[in-house]
Amino acid sequence: MTDLYTAVVDISEAALDPATALDFVSDPRFGGIDIFIGKVREHNLGRIVTGISYDLFEPLALRTFEAIDARARAEIGGPMKLYIAHAKGDLRIGDVAVIVAAGTPHRDEAFRACRLAIEAVKHEAPIWKQEHYIDGDSAWSEGCSLCDEQREAEHAATLRGDVHDHSH
Amino acid sequence: MKVRIALFGALRDADARGFIELDAPDVCTIATLRDLLREHLREHAPHISANLVQRSAFASDDEILHNHRTLPDNGKLAILPPVSGG
Repeated sequence: MTDLYTAVVDISEAALDPATALDFVSDPRFGGIDIFIGKVREHNLGRIVTGISYDLFEPLALRTFEAIDARARAEIGGPMKLYIAHAKGDLRIGDVAVIVAAGTPHRDEAFRACRLAIEAVKHEAPIWKQEHYIDGDSAWSEGCSLCDEQREAEHAATLRGDVHDHSH
Repeated sequence: MKVRIALFGALRDADARGFIELDAPDVCTIATLRDLLREHLREHAPHISANLVQRSAFASDDEILHNHRTLPDNGKLAILPPVSGG
């Protein structure tokens, strides 16, 4: 499909490139482009982070990106180009971890498609983040369960105000 | 049947090879496989929490397989801990 580009990029081979994403979603039909760039930051939950390792289940990650695209198209209901790329491997502070870009006729659809896609990538794609800290310790991030029963239980807990506000 | 479960994220700590092999009944639901895996880990990787296994999903290369589903014919699965991309 020429209106969708998805990729998992091994950081040891290439960096994610926002210019490539903008180029892909550019089109004479489109006056609005929104791009989200996620970068590795130097702190999390009060700890100093020195780097992040990303682990991905690639075949299902790419299928998930395609499903997200289908959902975004149904939501937008008009022409759109969407670019979703995620890095894997060992990233340093400032490295680009994820790029989502949407091109549409007007800004509203571009913003909505981009937001929908990045939230879905974070909450649904089989991707895991291991943070490395300045003291030499490492930890896998708490994440979102992909298991139906667990999602429902955790959603109910969120409604009760117990846990997990999806701010990550 | 012999089942091979690929490991990701925090569950990679369960086996340095990156996968676990189990013997499962020929007709077996994901829920049953989850119980078998929990027993296996209790014995072979006690540092892995049962709660992490409970919060993890099973998947083929194509889709998430929820608890009522049966094992894929090729016996190849992945177990996916809670995700944290982006």
